[in-house]
Amino acid sequence: MLNRNKKRFSGIIVLALLTMLASACSGNNNANNASPSASGTASATASASGSQPAASGEAKDGGSLILAVAADPVILNPNYAGDRVSLTIDQALYAPLFQVNNGKRTYYLADSLDLSEDKLTYTMKLKSGLTWHDGQPLTADDVVFTIDKILDESQNSFLRGNFIIGGKPVQAVKVDDTTVQLKLPQVAPGFEATLVQVFPIPKHIYENEANIEKSPKNQAPVGSGAFKFKEYKTGEYLTLERFDGYFGGKPHLDSITYRIAKDTNAANLALQNGEINVKYLDPQDVSTIQASGNFEILPYSEGRLAYMLFNHNSASGLLAKKEVREAIGYALNREELIQVAYASADYADPAHSFLTPDVLYQTNDVPTYDNDVAKAKELLQTAGVKNAKLRFIVSSGNKVQEAISLYVQQKLKEVGITVELNSMDASAFGAKFTDPKATDFDLVVGGYIMGFDPDAYSMLFTSDGSANYSHYSNPEVDALFKQGSGEGDAAKREEIYKNAQKLVAEDAAIYPIAYTKTIVAVDKRYGGIEEAVLKPVVIFEDPSKLYVK
Amino acid sequence: MRQLLIRRLLQTVPLLLFVSIVCFAMIKLAPGDPVLSFVTPNMHPEDIERIRHNLGLDKPAYVQYFLWIKEAVTGNLGYSLVNHQPVMDQILDRLPATAGLMGSAIGLAVLLAIPLGLAAGAYRGRWIDKLVNLVAYVGISVPLFWLAILMIYFFSIHLHWLPSMGMRTIGVNSAFDVLKHGIMPCAVLAFSFLAVYVRYIRSSTIGQLREDYVQIQYAYGSTKRIVLFRHVMKHVLLPIITLLGMSMGELVAGAIVTETVFSWPGIGSLGMTAVRGMDYPVIMGITLFSSVLLILGNLAADLLYGIADPRIKSKR
Repeated sequence: MLNRNKKRFSGIIVLALLTMLASACSGNNNANNASPSASGTASATASASGSQPAASGEAKDGGSLILAVAADPVILNPNYAGDRVSLTIDQALYAPLFQVNNGKRTYYLADSLDLSEDKLTYTMKLKSGLTWHDGQPLTADDVVFTIDKILDESQNSFLRGNFIIGGKPVQAVKVDDTTVQLKLPQVAPGFEATLVQVFPIPKHIYENEANIEKSPKNQAPVGSGAFKFKEYKTGEYLTLERFDGYFGGKPHLDSITYRIAKDTNAANLALQNGEINVKYLDPQDVSTIQASGNFEILPYSEGRLAYMLFNHNSASGLLAKKEVREAIGYALNREELIQVAYASADYADPAHSFLTPDVLYQTNDVPTYDNDVAKAKELLQTAGVKNAKLRFIVSSGNKVQEAISLYVQQKLKEVGITVELNSMDASAFGAKFTDPKATDFDLVVGGYIMGFDPDAYSMLFTSDGSANYSHYSNPEVDALFKQGSGEGDAAKREEIYKNAQKLVAEDAAIYPIAYTKTIVAVDKRYGGIEEAVLKPVVIFEDPSKLYVK
Repeated sequence: MRQLLIRRLLQTVPLLLFVSIVCFAMIKLAPGDPVLSFVTPNMHPEDIERIRHNLGLDKPAYVQYFLWIKEAVTGNLGYSLVNHQPVMDQILDRLPATAGLMGSAIGLAVLLAIPLGLAAGAYRGRWIDKLVNLVAYVGISVPLFWLAILMIYFFSIHLHWLPSMGMRTIGVNSAFDVLKHGIMPCAVLAFSFLAVYVRYIRSSTIGQLREDYVQIQYAYGSTKRIVLFRHVMKHVLLPIITLLGMSMGELVAGAIVTETVFSWPGIGSLGMTAVRGMDYPVIMGITLFSSVLLILGNLAADLLYGIADPRIKSKR
């Protein structure tokens, strides 16, 4: 199931986990469509940090941009888009209400967003004079319609779960044409991370559709973004053209084309040949592309953690022991591991915390068990573990996973632990990984993108979390997550989540490896990249700012 | 003749049933669950069950199969689990790209294989034979993706003669443009087919040249060329008809590797995506569709046999 180009869900995604597993934790879930998909998910991801080129030259109008995507989009309707390709296209086709980067909001359709004193009501003002691509006005009615449809169970939107807080739905109410109120059933500071995933859909197009997901109207989408739908040739390309009525000012480029290139090697050649202008790169391809001198190589944080998962429930029973988990950490050398897995430290920052650097209240200043073989041996002795044998499952063909597993096997041998590698096909691997009852493996490499609010991570680390595949359980951590999700005071929240990070790290619940980066190559003839903001999953937050130099 | 046709067509029914059952069983036995990709973390188990129910995946496998086959008989191959588009539409949408590519590749391969195979067989051990053998061995052993990448590197990056990917230049809608994009994938595929065909024709030619009728022709004073092209070729064509019949399935199933490397929007790449997504209606649709074509192809080959060699017809 890993590599499916299917829908996945809202920003915070467990399947992202899987995808990453499959697509290699390299931080570049690009063309592997083997994973076509593969593709991550998660539109809620926030800040684009990392190196960004300086803007140069005057912005000119005209020209087109061709961006490589690894698969056909699954569905061009943001209420359903979960795969990387659909999310990328939707980012240009539909406008969000607002986005968040490094904790700061950038407003798009919305003009302001205020939270009431009791922290239960958000009042959102929309910009005035907004229109859809067909010229119809975009008003509060559309926003309310979109949220109502997300909440409508029969419509199967993936975002639905995020709008149900404490078992009750969020209510969207129109105040006037440009004002919407969102009423929360209880205080939920993480709700803003849900709102960044809302890209309104037009009421006048969809109101009479019984099943929006299957509606033929998704084939000729009407959005509100900087570019409007022009042409889609299945399996070949999808072209969007400039929308002159875009509220953010007329976009510079005449058109953006998403070219479907399923084979990474061939797509790299097409990139060098000028048939593609923007493409994700794998670390090992960087030097070849760089050598041509025609591309900016832009690594940027993807808001993703690659980690080694310990199955606390495994039949061996070994990983339920904290000392064994600590010992494994001590037996490894994180820097070496990063070098082995990602070719260069430029593409992955060493990770200690389970939160990624773009997440609120993240701190990498937490206990970590690393690089001390003597200590590892001592801990194993204390735990009474001798001749231990661990099973490590690997998705076959996934180079990063293979590299990590071989490294781990070799290092653990030094402390007397035998690691048996079990390579399996991607679907079998995914099924095994997500099977809550699986006890026949101990170690596995995973990865996740969970968005910028720490509340989202509760599903990974609370005892009954739906994506707690390591079966980690610490009542203190459970309590902290519960407290944090309903805490309105920012300072208190910060303390809560810092404590949670410390506890999870102390427990060695997982072995965090690295915060991986996405690498994108952009043809040097294009400018405005800084203004367009590099963003995880979708590449450019606001493609209207891109131009031909 | 008509009886033969009817009998053979009737025979295809159990065959297709068998193919569909095996294919369905294999998909069901493979690990993975299509529903998982619809699951979001904050879904309750009942939500997940609702999705499973909506997709009809909560029923026992044999019931799912019967529901599928009931529709398939009427020509409705169902809907993709991923993008909810009708499977038949998706196949038909991709068919021209695949059939065009495969058809021209097979055609080109046959056109080249006949003279080359005849010459190699007739001049056994001479330079032409050695060359043909070399081409055949290389064609059989070289991985297609590697050859494809090599060609892209040479013809697109170095010489800038041909586009490296896709079927069309963006926004351009002309036959010439499609043709230009098709040259490399067609050449790669034709090369792989040629390697197989030429070996058949060569060995068949060698066999035929030992036959009495050839000696008689020579005795009557026919030139080698006349013997080869007028007499031997007729016999040599028979195995080619069989080969072509067997290629009919491939004609629609597409060439997964070549289509993927060149981003050719055909059925092969559709099937690849479907397999990865466990999108079983699409997998079943493609399998069934190509099976039908394969069976019809073989039937047509048998009928053509009768035309090419009347002795065969009279024996039935």
